[in-house]
Amino acid sequence: MQTKRSIIAPAKFVRPTTAARTAHTARFIAIALAALIVFPFLFKLIGGYSDLAAQILLTGVAAAGFNLLLGYTGILSYGQAAFYGGGGYIAAIVLARLTPNIWEAAILAVLGMALLSFIIGSLVVRLYGIYFALLTVASGQMVFFIVEQWRDVTGGDDGFQSIPTPFLAFGPAHIDLTTKLPSLPLGPLGDLSDVNYWYPLAALVALGVMLLVRTLVASQYGEVLGAIRENEDRSTFVGYDPRTYKLAAFTIAGALAGLSGALRAAHDGSVALGTLSIEQSGQFVIYTVIGGVQTILGPFIGTGLIMYLESVLSGNGYWRLIEGVIFVVVIVALPGGILGKSTRARFGFLRALGVKKNGA
Amino acid sequence: MAEPILQTKGLGKRFGNFNANSDIDFSVQPGELRAVIGPNGAGKTTFFNMLGGTTRATSGEIFFKGKAITGASGPHRVHLGIAKAFQTANIYNDDTCFQNVRLAALARTQGTFAPQFFARSSRLAKVDDLAEEALEAVDLLGVSHIRAGDLSHGDKKRLDIALALATQPAILLLDEPVAGMSVEETTKTEHTIKKLTARMTVLIIEHDMDMIMGISDQITVLHGGKVLANGTPAEIRANAKVQEAYLGGHSEDEVL
Amino acid sequence: MNEFLAALPTGLLNGLVSGLIYVAIAIGLTIIFGTLRLVNFTHGAFYAIGAYAGLVAAKSLGFWWAFIVAPIVVAGIAVILDRLLLRYFYSKDVTAQILVTFGLALVAEESLRNIFGAQTQRYPTPEAINGSVSFLGITYPEYRLLFAAGVIVLVVAVWLFIERTSYGLIVRAGVRDRIMVQLLGGNIRLASTIVFALGAGIAGFVGAAASPIYSVDPNTGFTFLIPSFVVIVVGGLGSFWGAVIAGILIGELQSLTTIIYAPAANVIIYIAMALVLLFRPQGLLGESEVIRG
Repeated sequence: MQTKRSIIAPAKFVRPTTAARTAHTARFIAIALAALIVFPFLFKLIGGYSDLAAQILLTGVAAAGFNLLLGYTGILSYGQAAFYGGGGYIAAIVLARLTPNIWEAAILAVLGMALLSFIIGSLVVRLYGIYFALLTVASGQMVFFIVEQWRDVTGGDDGFQSIPTPFLAFGPAHIDLTTKLPSLPLGPLGDLSDVNYWYPLAALVALGVMLLVRTLVASQYGEVLGAIRENEDRSTFVGYDPRTYKLAAFTIAGALAGLSGALRAAHDGSVALGTLSIEQSGQFVIYTVIGGVQTILGPFIGTGLIMYLESVLSGNGYWRLIEGVIFVVVIVALPGGILGKSTRARFGFLRALGVKKNGA
Repeated sequence: MAEPILQTKGLGKRFGNFNANSDIDFSVQPGELRAVIGPNGAGKTTFFNMLGGTTRATSGEIFFKGKAITGASGPHRVHLGIAKAFQTANIYNDDTCFQNVRLAALARTQGTFAPQFFARSSRLAKVDDLAEEALEAVDLLGVSHIRAGDLSHGDKKRLDIALALATQPAILLLDEPVAGMSVEETTKTEHTIKKLTARMTVLIIEHDMDMIMGISDQITVLHGGKVLANGTPAEIRANAKVQEAYLGGHSEDEVL
Repeated sequence: MNEFLAALPTGLLNGLVSGLIYVAIAIGLTIIFGTLRLVNFTHGAFYAIGAYAGLVAAKSLGFWWAFIVAPIVVAGIAVILDRLLLRYFYSKDVTAQILVTFGLALVAEESLRNIFGAQTQRYPTPEAINGSVSFLGITYPEYRLLFAAGVIVLVVAVWLFIERTSYGLIVRAGVRDRIMVQLLGGNIRLASTIVFALGAGIAGFVGAAASPIYSVDPNTGFTFLIPSFVVIVVGGLGSFWGAVIAGILIGELQSLTTIIYAPAANVIIYIAMALVLLFRPQGLLGESEVIRG
C-alpha cells in the first residue's frame, strides 16, 4: 500500500517542551485532586458512602498495577490476587503482632510482595500467552494453598479476623484513621465529618500511584515496555532483553497489589482467604478491562464502577450476571474500555483524564 | 590476512534427526560484503539464525572478533555489534518511521536493560541523531513521520534495515533484503547496501542472483546444510559443483 | 503405609475416572485450539451447560435422554456463539481470546446459577446402574466403570473422526499446517463451525455423563476448566494423544494425592504443570520448539 508523503518531513520531531510537560502534569494533578476531593461527597448522592469510596481507591491501586502488565506490557496475569491477598495477610500479621503503625505494615507488605512477585516473575516471564496466564494461575493457587494450610498464623479458611485499628504516624502525632474529619456543613453534599481520615489517606495513595504509573510509562523504561508489547521479536533484535523489562513490570505490579491489599486489610479490619483466590484475580482483570487499559485513571474508574454496582445491586441475585455481561459488552463494543480509544473518539473531554501512551 | 570479524568452526544444527546445518567453517573479513547463497533447503536461514542468535547451535562454535559468542543471546549480540534485518519486514507498525529507528537507537544507550524508570528519552539528543542517521542511510528521512505500517513493501524492508543500522553494528546480517521488491526498489536497495559496506561488514542471504553477483566481494555456497564452495563471484559462477547443485535443485529460476 | 496400599486400587480407579473427564474436555479444547487457534475459556461452561441440560432431560424425558439432549444443546449454543462472536476472535491475539471467552464463561456460569439455583443437584440415576461391582478385592460403583468405558469409546471415535474423515482432514491439517487449511478456501467457515461445535458437544456430553458421579453446581464449569487447560499444556498444545495421556496422568496424580494428603489435591496439578513448563515447555508430546501460544 502506497501512502501520500510530504516532500520534506521535519528533521526532528516537535516535542513538547519541559515547561509544557510540567504544565500538563500540573493539570493532571489538579484535575485528579479535585475529582478525589469531591468524590466521596458526590458519591453519596448516588447511594455510595465514604468507606466504599476509600475501598474503591485502595483496591484501584492493585488494578493500576495490573494495568501496567495488561495495558502497558501486554501480558495477562491471572495471579495478581496472590500479591493482593499476600499483602493483606502480611499487613494483618504485622498490625496484630508487631505494631499498629500503618506505615510499617504497608512497607513490609510492599517489600514482601515485591520479593514474591520478583521470584514468581523470574520463572513466568519467559513464557507467553496461555502458558504465561496458566503459570500465573498456578502460582496464585500455590500461595492460596500455603495460606489456607498455615492455619496457626493465617486463620486458614476463616481468614484473619479482628486486625487492630491502625494509626498513622505523622511526626510525633498518631492519627487514629477512623477519626472523623472536622465538621463543616457542605449543603446538599452533607458534612465534611461524614468522612474519616481513611479517605484522605486512600486519596493520596491513589494519586501517588497514578503519578507513579504516569511517570513510569513516560520514562525510557516505559517506552521500551511499549516497544516490547508491540513487537517483542524486533525489540529483542535491536538489543533489549524483554524478560528483564517484563520482570520489572511484574515486580512493580506485585508491589502495588501488595500495597493495595495491605491498606484494604487495615481499613476493613480483616482479610478473607478469598482475597487470594482466582476469582479475585479475575476481578482485577474485569476492573481494568472495563475501566480502560493503557489509561491512568481507567483501572480506578473500572474498580469504582464495579464495586459501586456491586454494593447497590448485591442484594439482587443477578449482580454477577450483570457484571459478566458488562465485561463482555465492553470487550466487544468498547475495546480499550470506558476510557479507551473508541469511547474517547466519541467523547473528546475524556482525553483530559490522563490517557497515556508509552514513552509519551 | 587480518583477524576475521565473524568466524564459525564446525557449526551445526540438528532438529530431531534432521541435520539442518553441519560442519560449517566460515569466516568473514572486516569490511567485506559476503553473500551466502544456495538452493532451497540448503540451510541458509538456519545458518543465519545461529549467527544472529535466534537459534542455538547444537555443535561447533561462533567467534566474533576472535571471541566465542556461541551461547550469547540475541540482544547481547546486538550490543557486541551484530545486527540483523529480517526476511519479512519486522518493524513497529503502529509507530512512525522516526519512532521506529529511535527505539533501536535508544537500545544503544540502554544496553539489554536499563532501570531508567523516571527519566524520559526525549532529552537524549544523541539518540535523535543516531535515528536520523539511520533513516538517512536507507533514504527514508523523507517519510520519517509516516506510520511504519502504511509504508510500501520495499520501504518497510528498508526501515527494517534502518532499525539494524541504528544500533551501530560492526556487522550487518541481511536476510533476503530485496525479496518481493520491484525492480526499481531492488536497485535502490542495492545502492543502499553498497554504500553501507564503506562503514561496516555486510553479510547477505539472497535469491536474486543478478544482485549477488553484482555487489558481493565473496560468496559462500551452502548445499545440504554444508559449505559447498567459497570464492569470488567469478569463481562461483565457474564452479562446476555449484552449477550442478543448482541444476539438481528444485527451483529453476535460481539457475545461475 | 498399609492404609495407603488399601486405598490404592480404588484411588487408581477414581483417578482414571476423573482423568477421563479431563481427557474428554481437553480433546475438545485441543481440537479447537489446533484448528481454529482459539484459546477457549468458555469450554468449562460447555461442560456445565451440558450437565444442566442433561439434568433437565433426565428428569423430564428419562435418564438416557440426557446423553442425547446435552451434546445437541451445547453444540447448538456453540454454533450461535461461534457465528455471532467468537469467529471474530480467531485471528486476534491470545490475550483478547482469553478475555472474551472468560467473560462468556462468567455470563454462562451466572446464567446457570440464576436459572437452576446455587445449590448442588443430583441426577436421578436408574436403579439398574446404581449397583456396584466387586473384583480383585475391591468394590466399585457400576456407573463409574460404565462411564470410563464410554469415554474411552468416545475418545477412540473422535480420533477415528479426525484420522478417517474429510472434516477430520481439516482438523489434522489445521494442527500441522494453517496455510493448507486456508487454501481449502470456501469450506473453511463451515468446517470451523463444525469443529467448534464438535469440541463443545463433546464437553456437553461429558458434562451430562459425569454428573451422576460428581453432581452439578454452577461452579462446575470453572472447576473443570483450569485442570483441563493444565492437561493440554502438560500434554502439548494441539496434541491429541498428549491430551489423553496427560489427562489420565493428572487425574491419577490428583487422586493419589487425595489419599496421601487431601488438601494438596488441587495444588498438586499446578506444581506438575509448572515443572513441565519449566523443563519441557512444549509439553509431553508437543512438537514446536518455540512456544508463543
